[in-house]
Amino acid sequence: MLKYIAVSAVSLACATASYAETFRWAGTTDPQTMDPHAVNSAPVLGFLNNVYEGLVRRGKDMSIEPALAVSWQPIGEGEGWRFNLRQGVTFHDGATFDAQDVLFSYQRASNEASDTRSWFAPVSDVKVVDDYTVDILTSAPNPIFPDSIANWMIMDSGWAEANNAALPDKESGNYATLNANGTGAFVISDRQPGLTTTLVPFDGWWDTAEHNITEATFTPIDNPATAVAALLSGDVDMINPVPIQDADRVDSRDGTRVVRGIEARVIMLGFGHEADTLKYTAMEGEKNPFQDVRVREAVAKAINVDAILKTIMRGSAEASSQLVSPAMRGYSAGLSDRPAYDPAGAKALLAEAGYADGFSFGLKCPNNRYLNDEAVCQAVTGMLAQVGIKAELDAMPVQNYWPELREDNFDMYLLGWSPGTFDHEHPVRFLVSTPNSEKKLGSWNFGGFSNARVDELLPLVQSEIDDGKRQAMIDEIVGIYQSEHAYVPMYVQPLVWGTRDNVNLTQRPDNFFILRWVTMN
Amino acid sequence: MLSYIIRRVFQALLVLLIVGLVAFAMFNFIGDPIDNMLGQERTEEDIARLKAQLGLDQPFVVQYFKFILSALQGNLGVSYEQGRPVADILVERAPATLELAAVSGVFALTLGIILGVITAIRRDGFLANSIMILSLIGVSLPTFLIGILLIYLFAVELSWFSSFGRGETVALGNWTTGFLTASGLKALVLPSITLGLYQMTLIMRLVRSEMLVVLREDYIRFARARGLSERAVTFRHALKNTMVPVITVTGLQLGSLIAFAIITESVFQWPGMGLLFLNAIQFVDIPVMAAYLMLISVMFVGINLIVDLLYVAVDPRLRV
Repeated sequence: MLKYIAVSAVSLACATASYAETFRWAGTTDPQTMDPHAVNSAPVLGFLNNVYEGLVRRGKDMSIEPALAVSWQPIGEGEGWRFNLRQGVTFHDGATFDAQDVLFSYQRASNEASDTRSWFAPVSDVKVVDDYTVDILTSAPNPIFPDSIANWMIMDSGWAEANNAALPDKESGNYATLNANGTGAFVISDRQPGLTTTLVPFDGWWDTAEHNITEATFTPIDNPATAVAALLSGDVDMINPVPIQDADRVDSRDGTRVVRGIEARVIMLGFGHEADTLKYTAMEGEKNPFQDVRVREAVAKAINVDAILKTIMRGSAEASSQLVSPAMRGYSAGLSDRPAYDPAGAKALLAEAGYADGFSFGLKCPNNRYLNDEAVCQAVTGMLAQVGIKAELDAMPVQNYWPELREDNFDMYLLGWSPGTFDHEHPVRFLVSTPNSEKKLGSWNFGGFSNARVDELLPLVQSEIDDGKRQAMIDEIVGIYQSEHAYVPMYVQPLVWGTRDNVNLTQRPDNFFILRWVTMN
Repeated sequence: MLSYIIRRVFQALLVLLIVGLVAFAMFNFIGDPIDNMLGQERTEEDIARLKAQLGLDQPFVVQYFKFILSALQGNLGVSYEQGRPVADILVERAPATLELAAVSGVFALTLGIILGVITAIRRDGFLANSIMILSLIGVSLPTFLIGILLIYLFAVELSWFSSFGRGETVALGNWTTGFLTASGLKALVLPSITLGLYQMTLIMRLVRSEMLVVLREDYIRFARARGLSERAVTFRHALKNTMVPVITVTGLQLGSLIAFAIITESVFQWPGMGLLFLNAIQFVDIPVMAAYLMLISVMFVGINLIVDLLYVAVDPRLRV
């Protein structure tokens, strides 16, 4: 492996001398591991998508397309899926890809030591039919299974076993934490954790390369001002993200431009549904007003999302009516209206619910998790004050924020959600389902929203093969969480990348940066 | 003498232990590393399991005791973020910080002394007054602002230097050095100025005030009367006698150069220990934070201990 990389690095060093297309980019966080099964987080999976591949992959428009599998079809009446594997694919170290690697990667990624285990909750068994056919059996019909495994990356069984990395080791690391051996378009030629990671194209890649990069280096730069300066001075070719307040400056300058888009992440307000009393209030011991749907509706009407988008997001984001953005599978097109901004109506609703004089409560907010999160919460506080309810804002770093939410220390809170499967079922499972740790449902439903009909519909959605019937059930769930105002979805978070003018790239709503679509003139 | 040394060493160890205890008590307020280590699809059981595995469910005193115990056996633990031994990471990052501190120390010392002498001998000249005013700006502007200003002026607008990082480095065994390549040397310029500016003004003002006192002494007047050149008077007679406090201060400031490199390293994305520490805070990487803080306090306590012992060597009255 090392010898191979050394050889390819030398040959590339010669190649770069003739036409240097070294691409340098920077992001805020370094992928903490090179092990595709150890950590289920966007920085890691996004980065490793350049190195490893799954059976399927996502195209420029997020659609599922063949990768290591050339085709797949359901088995019987939804007993599982058969994947026909691509022949002639080799790993970076030269080993051949076959069905054993798929089985091995399933066992590795679904192991207790892996962070990606939950992707395989529906899987009951994986069977190798022949060298290039694999059956993945599910305990119930699972129509979106191929969609849900786009980030499940295949590792060479021989390589992992030879290097004592048959299982991921998150706590103390192993060979696969620092080294990688995928089938993807790029090979990691140098890895210095926290400093730089260098990639070179994989000569033996099965697909035709669209990019013209001969070498790519990634540097984490966590100070946003430094990242912008690095882009403006030409020390890097691309940064993600550009702070919203610097976007116009980057765009108007010669040599650099901003690439804007919409992320898959919806920013919303959540309520403490389950709590009988408010935690942070002057009216101690009295009933929690947010248990009254009229109060929740009043909150939705009191918030002027357009004003937030115009001032705080500077026109980069889009208002949202649901827990997923319109680009996601299962979006309910018929239910796309969010409650109009109507402070008078909000006041009337509050009066009707018996809170004509308002009340005070605590709003918890992170200050370093989402784009301008604290500023958004301040705006929300101001807007709620205008209809007479007084939020006491408590903003904190995200490291403190999640433990606080887990301990139920909030009356209202801010949350962003990006569906890992790019399907509406995902936020329903995590945010709307009644919390149930045994069934692994509602694990991010901090407020404890609970609706029997949603709980009844979710398993049906998960196993419905017919797209029309599935969408009808999702529409019903959306209708419920909208009319119940379980959450107040506000907007879809923007993506703001900065690049040099000579760089062409593709921005995907999952905020993954895919190197094989980068060309430099 | 021996009992004095033993007493000082014992006090130093006590200070170290207390620093560690305070640090571990603080870690409880920095937040929770669990959410950074587990992904979105974690369950309550995953959280509880990992907490127990890392010992985070125990009181901080127990965590601290375990840390000290394994640190005494030379094991600083494994980074939560990188999954590698903390000692390896520190060894990897130390050269960047030490080289930066050394260059800014040299910069602060040379320029500080030269400017101090100039402002002392031309007390009311235009040059001296401008230097004094500029030095006021140097002490009053926060480091990160100076860094950003330098980056925008010299990297973005003039493109003379690169805006971040160490440039190309050469590995000499475990030590990576930026001294041997052109880009490595160039990369040192802006961060060293940023980091050393405050110390430079400090030394400059110290030299100036010492010089002003010394220049009024009789022996300077006699030296002039002997017909010695102004240069010889200034450098051989006056400056030499101002050096004792300057050396003391510089020695003590070397520790703060290393410890306070955090902000400079963050502004310039300088891959040293300070940047590592900042990242560790964001990730709540307790083993890295603990090791860094202990390392810095060992350094400070060590420097102070040496200074104390030197006093004993120099001052006979202490040898009772």
